[in-house]
Parts: sequence; C-alpha cells; structure tokens
Amino acid sequence: SKSELDFITHLIEKPSYWLEWWAGRGLPSPVRPICDPRVLDRFIMEARDTETALRGCKAGCGVTGTFVVPLTNVDFVVWETKDTEEQALEVQSGMSLFGQALGAVRESVSRVAVQILIDNNKSNIHSLGQVLRSLHIQDLPLPPAPAVGDLVTRKVSSLSELLHVHTNFLRGKVRLLLTNAPACQQNST
Amino acid sequence: KKMTNDNLNKLLVFCVLFCAQKTSIVHGAQALETKVALLLHAEPENPKCFAEGMSDLTCFWEEDEERAGSADQYSFIYTYQNENSSECSITALPAAGGKRLYFCRLSQTQLFVPLDIRVFRDDLLIHNRSLFIEAVFLLDPPANLTLTSTGMQGQLKASWLPPSLKYMGDSMMYEVSYAMAGSHIGKVEEVQASSELILRGLQSGTKYKVRIRVKLDGISYSGYWSAWTDPVLMETMPGDLDPLIVSLSLIISLVLTLLSLLVLMSHRRFLLKKIWPIIPTPESKFQGLFKVYGGDFQEWLGHSTGGLWLRPTYFYSEEFPVPLEVLSEVSLGPALPSSALPPKASEALGEEEDEDKKLKRVDPALMEGWRKTPQEHWTMDQLRAIHQHPAPWTQSSLLESHDAYVTLNAQNHSVEEPLDDILEETLPLQVLFASGRTSSESRSDLGSVQQSSGSGRLSSQSSFEYPNHTWPSKGPGYTYMAVADSGVSMDYSPMSSNKIDDIGKGVIYTNEYKNEIPAHRRPIGTPIHFAF
Repeated sequence: SKSELDFITHLIEKPSYWLEWWAGRGLPSPVRPICDPRVLDRFIMEARDTETALRGCKAGCGVTGTFVVPLTNVDFVVWETKDTEEQALEVQSGMSLFGQALGAVRESVSRVAVQILIDNNKSNIHSLGQVLRSLHIQDLPLPPAPAVGDLVTRKVSSLSELLHVHTNFLRGKVRLLLTNAPACQQNST
Repeated sequence: KKMTNDNLNKLLVFCVLFCAQKTSIVHGAQALETKVALLLHAEPENPKCFAEGMSDLTCFWEEDEERAGSADQYSFIYTYQNENSSECSITALPAAGGKRLYFCRLSQTQLFVPLDIRVFRDDLLIHNRSLFIEAVFLLDPPANLTLTSTGMQGQLKASWLPPSLKYMGDSMMYEVSYAMAGSHIGKVEEVQASSELILRGLQSGTKYKVRIRVKLDGISYSGYWSAWTDPVLMETMPGDLDPLIVSLSLIISLVLTLLSLLVLMSHRRFLLKKIWPIIPTPESKFQGLFKVYGGDFQEWLGHSTGGLWLRPTYFYSEEFPVPLEVLSEVSLGPALPSSALPPKASEALGEEEDEDKKLKRVDPALMEGWRKTPQEHWTMDQLRAIHQHPAPWTQSSLLESHDAYVTLNAQNHSVEEPLDDILEETLPLQVLFASGRTSSESRSDLGSVQQSSGSGRLSSQSSFEYPNHTWPSKGPGYTYMAVADSGVSMDYSPMSSNKIDDIGKGVIYTNEYKNEIPAHRRPIGTPIHFAF
C-alpha cells in the first residue's frame, strides 16, 4: 500500500534509523504488517533494473573479488515442508549476505552511476528487513559466520552474477516468505 | 484436424493403459495439444519448455518424421545450478504435417535458479538451453467465465475463476477480449490480480462475445499467454432513449409544432368559422334596431323606413306573412274627429309600408282626431267618423279595457299583459303586432286568442281562419279590422242603431269571436291588410 511504501521510503531517507537497526535496538515496527506484494515487487524490479544496467559493464565495473551469496533455488515441495521460522532464517541470512556483498562492492566501484545503483539496492535490502519485522519475524542474531549458511551459500566472482543472484533471491525465497507470512494470512481473503 | 484426431486417438490408447480416468485424460490431451501448438508458435528456442504448475516442467521438441528417430535415441539431460545433472525420459508422439514430437516431463522442479537443458541424439547435442522455470509458465485458461449484467446501460461484468496456483494468485494478469457477436473487430482489456472485470462503453441491446486468457505478470513469475477460453455470449441491456435521439426528437417536434401553429394562425378565421360558427343575428335585417334603439322596436319602427313589414314573428315561426285586414264600414255615421287613435298607433300605422300590405293610408286628420277615449263606449259621433273614413284604425276606444292587444316591443314586456291584464279605459290601443311570444300559443293554429269570454273583447284571429278572405258576412256599417298574423283581428261591428243600443248596454261586439260571430256582422268595405 501507499502508506507502507511511504514508511519504507521514510526509513531509507533517515540514516539514524539504520544506525539503530545495526545496533540491534530495533526500529519502531509499524503497527500494521506490510503484506502488499507490490512492496517487494518494487524491490525486485529495481534489482532487475540494476542487473540489466550493469550487465554491460566493462571489466565487471572494476569490481573484483568473490562474494558469498545464498542459494536461491526453491523447491516448493521442500519449501512447504519448512516452517515459517526456518524459512525466515534462510531469508534473513541470505539478505545479510547480500548486504555485506553490496557493501564491499560499493567500496570498490568508482563510477558514480554505479554507486547510485548499488546504494539503491542496499537501501532496498534494509527496507526489506523492516518489512520482515512488521510481519513479526524475529530479527536474526547477526551470525558472525553463518555455519548454517554453508549449505545454502555459494560464491560468485562478478558483480553481474552477484546482482543476478540477488534478484533471484528476492523473487524466490523472500517473496515466498512474505506472501505466506502468517501475519499476512489473516488479512488475505 | 488430422493431427488432432490422430493425437487424440493415440493419446487415448496410451492413457487408457496408464491412466484411470478417461475424462481427465481427454481434457488433458486437448490441453496439451493446445499448449504445444501455442509454444510452437511462440517459442523459438528448443527444446520448448513450459511449467503448468508449481512443481512441473514439460519440454518438447519437434522433428520431421523422415529424420526422426525413436525415443530411445534421444537423451534429455538437465542440470540445476550447483547441482548434478539428471536425465529425463523421453516420449515420442506423432504430430500433424509429418512431424514428430518428443516430450520430457519433470515432476519436481526448482525455481529461481538457472536450469540447464541439453538434448542429445545418439550422443550428439542437438539442443541446449538454459532457463528459469518460473519464467516459462503456461497456464490453463481461466475457468467458469461468466457474463452478467451490471444493471447499467452498455456494461457487462465478466467474472472467472483464476488458475489455482499457490503463491501466484497475485501475480496473474488477464486479457479480456470482447467483440460484438458476429464481428471480428474487438477490444482487449488487461486486468491484474483480479477475478472480474466490468466492460464499459458497450452498445445497448447487443450481443457480445467475450473471452479471456491469463499470464503471469513477469515480476516474480512470468511465462506465455494461455490459450483463449471458449467465447461466452451475452446481450447487453436494451438501450434507453439515447439522449441525442431524445433531444433531436424534441427539437423536431418543436419545429413541427411551431409550423402547425403558424398555419393555424394564418387560417384562423377560416377555422374559427368552422369551429365556432357565428350565431346569426337579426341585426342585418333590422338596421339600427339594436345598435341605435337598443332593441326598442317601437322607436325603431318610428324611425326606420324599411323593414317594418317584417313581422317579428317572422323569426319565430314559419308562417307566411298574413295580411292585416282592416275593414271599414262605409255606413258609419259622421266622422268622429274627436276620436283619435292613440298617437303611437297612429304613427305606427301611418308608417307601415310594405309591398305586401294593402294598407290604406290613415287619414292623418282622422288619426289625430282620435284620441284615447276614456269612455267605454263609442259615441255616435265617433262611430260616424269611423264610418266615413274607412281608415284602418285600431279601435282602442272600442276595445277598451278588455281588449287584448299585442304590443310589438323588443323587450316585449307588455306582451304578456294584454292577454289578461288589459285595463279599462286607460289602455291605449296600440297597433297590434303579435309577437312571437304572446301569440306563440296561437302560432300553431289560426291564432285565435280569446281574451275573455266577455263581450267587447278583441279576439286575436288571423286571417287564416278565413283563408279566402271569406270573412263572415257582416252587415253593412260594420267596421272590421283584422290584424293579420298576430292573430289579432279586430272586428268592429258597425255601429248601427241596434249596436249602439248594444253598446250602450255595454256590449260591444267589436271583435270577432270564434264561433261567436254575430250574425249581424257584415263585412263592409275592403279589408285593409297589415302585413308584417
């Protein structure tokens, strides 16, 4: 909904909120759960646009190194066997991985246009965290090293692949978690 | 058509061996056939793959019959990212146009991850493709498409059942195609994540053909447009009066009304004549009677020169004008200069003129000599005067009080009176013109109005009684005056010595009684007729 989007935009524009989020104090969670799929859809489209824009980047836009990314594949049959907490764990650990990777990318790129796009995606990741919180999905204790994530991570070595995985992750697991969150099931018809 | 029939037959045979429900098989076969045809048209890459649900993937490719090998010659190898390869079993089916189709179907899939497909024929790679399964959805068309009326003009509501795919209901978009039945030109409307749509701007009272297809919106999931549903027909509500038509009709009717009004106004006199005919009035015949004299006939008579001969009864009856007959007795005594007719009568008498009348001019002198006689009886002198001047004179003095007379008056007030209210001496004898009212009773007959049974009364009698002027014989010396038409005829019996005696007795046979005509009366002289 528009109010939800406005809330997230507000979050993005105020860095102090992010400081609190990093500190783990928890941001004031919205009163209502954000169940509108269009919120995540907007993030997905922006990630896709970023991926498309940077696909033709020469020499990987100057980004080197490897990044740990979560696995994005979804087997519905398997997925449905997992409960919400397990699903949320997967999503949140994956989101943090992407956040770290994009942070590292941001530091290595020099082109301003690329920097803007990367910043946008990073903001979206943070906003998603808020959306998850609104659905009463507990924050993850930031794992120093996701031992759980070994099975569910892999490594990429280019920016385009990183962005591609990022898009797939959002479209798949994150979306499935959000659309089937118990908090949203009460509102759905 | 041949391909359809062949495929159906073979699928039926194939599925009977492996499947239990025939109805679902037939439907599944039909759906498969449709989807294959769609993808052959829409997807350029090989193998062509599509997902129908959340955990399946169907891939196929086409080969010419001549070069086609058996199914076991081919191998279908698929690999998910970061996973080991797997192989899919291949099924071969004949297709139309000398083609053969090879199918591979996966029953467990992973989405949001790249899938790598390779097809080998005898260890030769013939097809290679990498795809995301969530991007190749080809759904069944929506079910239960129904059209209902919204209750408003030019609208129809289309509702349908979305494909029952979990997690994807809000990612579906629909395309509704509607056209007038029988027309090939239609419109298309898109709607997202909904199960109904109101079609607007339709023509009233028209049958529309509507169909729908579905596709995933492409944000998270995407794919190909599904096949169209079977068209559903529905007629829109019958149209109300189009406001344009209503306004045009009003304008036209207004113009026509104005035109007709113009025509009516231009011919209003003619129409008025027809609708409201003018009541005829006698004014034209009596010039100046109503306008100048206010209907006072007496005055009008005194001043007008023409038309006196018209009796008022002319308008009330169809009787012919009856001549007024005045008979004078020659043998009467000396003139009676003193006697005079009432001025009115004399004047009236003097002025009567008509071609029909046989009036003898009243001697003015004589007339002047006459005056109202209070006496009841004639004097001998008066009688003589009368005798000598056979002038038409209405003898008021003779008739006196008991005489009935009729006064022609527009108001006609006194008309009633004479019948019974005639007083004695003071009653002037006026020219008696029977008005229609007074003599109405007598109109039908010969008009004999008997005023009283007393003697000396004037009986109104018309000369009709004597059709051939066969007046009863009267002795000489009798003076008769018959006032025609009014039925008033005055018969003045001559004053013979005998009569005088009678008069003296108070019996004056001054009029003719019906059936009481004195035998001694004799017509004397020529009758003088008054004709009106």
